[in-house]
Amino acid sequence: MTTEEIVTATQALPKGVSLWDDAWLRLKKNKLAMFGLCFLILMSLLCLLAPWLTPYGYEDQDLRLGASGPSMAHWLGTDTFGRDLLTRILYGGRVSLMVGFIATSVALIIGVTYGAVAGYAGGKTDALMMRLVDIIYALPFMIFIILLMVVFGRNILLLFLAIGAVEWLVMARIVRGQVQNLRQQEFVEAAISIGLSPWSIIRKHLIPNALGPIIVYTTLTIPNVMLLEAFLSFLGLGIQPPQSSWGLLISYGVESMEEYPWLLIFPGLALTLTLFALNFLGDGLRDALDPKASRD
Amino acid sequence: MKTKRHHCFSFCFIFLLTACGGGDNLSRVDSGNQEGVLHFGNGTEPQGLDPHIVTGVPEHHIINALFEGLVSKDPYTLEPIPGVAESWEISEDGRTYTFNLRRDALWSNGDPVTAEHFRWSWQRVLSPELGSQYNYMLYPVLNAEAYANGELTDFSQVGAKALDAHTFQVELENPTPYLLQLLDHYSTFAVHPETVLAHGSMTDRITQWTRVENMVSNGPFKLSEWAINSQIRVEKSETYWDREAVQLNAIVYYPTENTVTEERMFRDEEIHFTNVIPMDKISTYRNIAPDLLQIAPYLGTYYYLINTDKEPFNDLRVRKALAMSVDRDLLTETVMRGTVTPAYALTPPGTLGYQPPQTFSYDPEEAKRLLAEAGYPNGEGFPSFEILYNTLDEHRRIAVAIQEMWRQNLGINVELLNQEWRVYLDSQDNMNYDVSRRGWIGDYVDPNSFLDMMITGGGNNKTGFSDPRYDDLVLNVAPSKLDESERFEAYYEAETILMEDMPIIPLYTYQSRHFRHPSLKGLPPNILDYYNWKYVYLEPMPEFDIPDEL
Repeated sequence: MTTEEIVTATQALPKGVSLWDDAWLRLKKNKLAMFGLCFLILMSLLCLLAPWLTPYGYEDQDLRLGASGPSMAHWLGTDTFGRDLLTRILYGGRVSLMVGFIATSVALIIGVTYGAVAGYAGGKTDALMMRLVDIIYALPFMIFIILLMVVFGRNILLLFLAIGAVEWLVMARIVRGQVQNLRQQEFVEAAISIGLSPWSIIRKHLIPNALGPIIVYTTLTIPNVMLLEAFLSFLGLGIQPPQSSWGLLISYGVESMEEYPWLLIFPGLALTLTLFALNFLGDGLRDALDPKASRD
Repeated sequence: MKTKRHHCFSFCFIFLLTACGGGDNLSRVDSGNQEGVLHFGNGTEPQGLDPHIVTGVPEHHIINALFEGLVSKDPYTLEPIPGVAESWEISEDGRTYTFNLRRDALWSNGDPVTAEHFRWSWQRVLSPELGSQYNYMLYPVLNAEAYANGELTDFSQVGAKALDAHTFQVELENPTPYLLQLLDHYSTFAVHPETVLAHGSMTDRITQWTRVENMVSNGPFKLSEWAINSQIRVEKSETYWDREAVQLNAIVYYPTENTVTEERMFRDEEIHFTNVIPMDKISTYRNIAPDLLQIAPYLGTYYYLINTDKEPFNDLRVRKALAMSVDRDLLTETVMRGTVTPAYALTPPGTLGYQPPQTFSYDPEEAKRLLAEAGYPNGEGFPSFEILYNTLDEHRRIAVAIQEMWRQNLGINVELLNQEWRVYLDSQDNMNYDVSRRGWIGDYVDPNSFLDMMITGGGNNKTGFSDPRYDDLVLNVAPSKLDESERFEAYYEAETILMEDMPIIPLYTYQSRHFRHPSLKGLPPNILDYYNWKYVYLEPMPEFDIPDEL
């Protein structure tokens, strides 16, 4: 065997594949999921680069022009103030995507940690922690969020945090249920017996095994928080004009959908397509990350 | 989130039900035309039905059907016409009014309406314990203000006396030429003392007496159903003195806050008349069915209050710059679709022939110069501030347009803040705002209805504006003039002082906007948007349909 042959032989050998590499490989094979991922990246880029992509500002009005349908100058038409709709959708996307990701991340981090700890600890700690969740859950949601807004003040980033802070409850319950279930299994007992710390067990064994439901629920949370943001903004608790978000654009569009349908259709499309992409990606991720799935 | 989904289901369910129930049945408007029942879009759920407590326009529409004051108004000319009083005499000096009450004026339980009922009711309105927000309507009456402030506790010193069962005498502080108009306002109406006392004391604000089963009233209609947030129904009263003139058998009031929903109800022929017209619908209706629109001048001004106690608005140049950089012509033509007219003063032009002064015009260059003079060249260093408005689409649209005008013309950054109605009123009351929207509708046709609210410490001033010359002109000089042109001169002078100090930014003069079914007659447009229900009638039009293209 020459050195060259050895090199080729080593290359031919199956490389050590980590769980994550494996998941990525499987995800890559899922066309719909990849489409979703690409769409999300593209949409985020468009929204991020909005100031360089359109010649209009999101607040520039042309009152004399008023609401006009799609044209060469305004590809998606203008709203009743003569503001370019495409520009407003792109700028609105910044807020919507940001609230979607930040608020969901907040919900994810709090919910998963809290649920996993409660589920793993069990007994009195669990009972205490879950009763706390029940209490917060029983609070009227609006009062809770208004209270948070009063304490935090009107600040867009804090709004995201506030939404995240109420959205984690269901996540915590789901994770706790999963963890309770997994905790009984042999591989966890094995991990305990070789002296792994509880935190390492939660991190390395329990959460990765509970990822499926977590991801599914996350993809459901994102559209939820986007709509919630629109609702709060409508009540004057969220973002204020002239800023916009997809949810707000849609709620204004609904008011005049018979006269100016494009004001509803285009923001609606942007939101729907993004949610579809998120769901495809979520589905793909769930399949890809499921450690129980057979290797092909 | 869960409740939302429920809504969705119940909505579908209702939709299915109505879809099934439709069929060949007559629309509500058509059956109403046959039965003489008017279906009326009334905006919001009334705060209550006690004439001495409520303050809003929706309440006004209902109370006007249930009660009648000493004097009523002709809906065509707005001239005072006899109500409970069949005639009245005015003394030479204009300070004493003597009303002769008609003997056939009865309450809905059959009791006669007496002068003592009016005296008792006025005592009730003016009692500090009741806390009526409209008690100042009676301030022209001798000693009324002192009684309302608690400075006077003996009501017999107030200029309202029942000389006998059917003679009511009113003495005034000053000759007040618009007094008769005030007597058609619900805060001066009589309530049935026995009924009020049967459910609480004279000055209890909230009691059961306005409930359907308890209510006793003296108007052309009586209360027959009150389903909260659904409908209020009044039926023709059999005891009303002029019952022969009343042509409707019933009126049903629908509280529909969402203007888009209300328009749909109108289009489906469920209501004869809407409270308002959504902006986006105006051009469609103008093109297809202009007859269904009723747009008419309305005695009201839409304006922005400025908190003159706050930096930087305590600088007159800043206030002027803000006022001068709003293009009112553009605003009214585009955002308001030409349904209103630009305003440059508080009082609407042509109020009883009074023409308000115009002390400024749209001039962005001059505005920029003034702002620079005040220390903010091109808006640099100007603190960001908020426009406060109550949550309503129309107010938002106006605020968004003005926000942009100020940004472009002055280079200043403005934020918008919307609050729910009561929170918004609270913020204004506590002067907890920078700039806030406000609309004022005249309670009677006289410049005084606008100008008396800006007096120092006036309950509706809320800007920090205070000028002793203004107070003197409005409170003392004008009311003492018997000659109308002299009186208007005093108002003109006062309003010039007001507008030169610019504590408010007038934006436009209101127009009332309603959809109106052609079968509805006897409800003429007038500048108070006032309805006298006994003139209203319905003319069945079975062949008429609302055009499908709408």
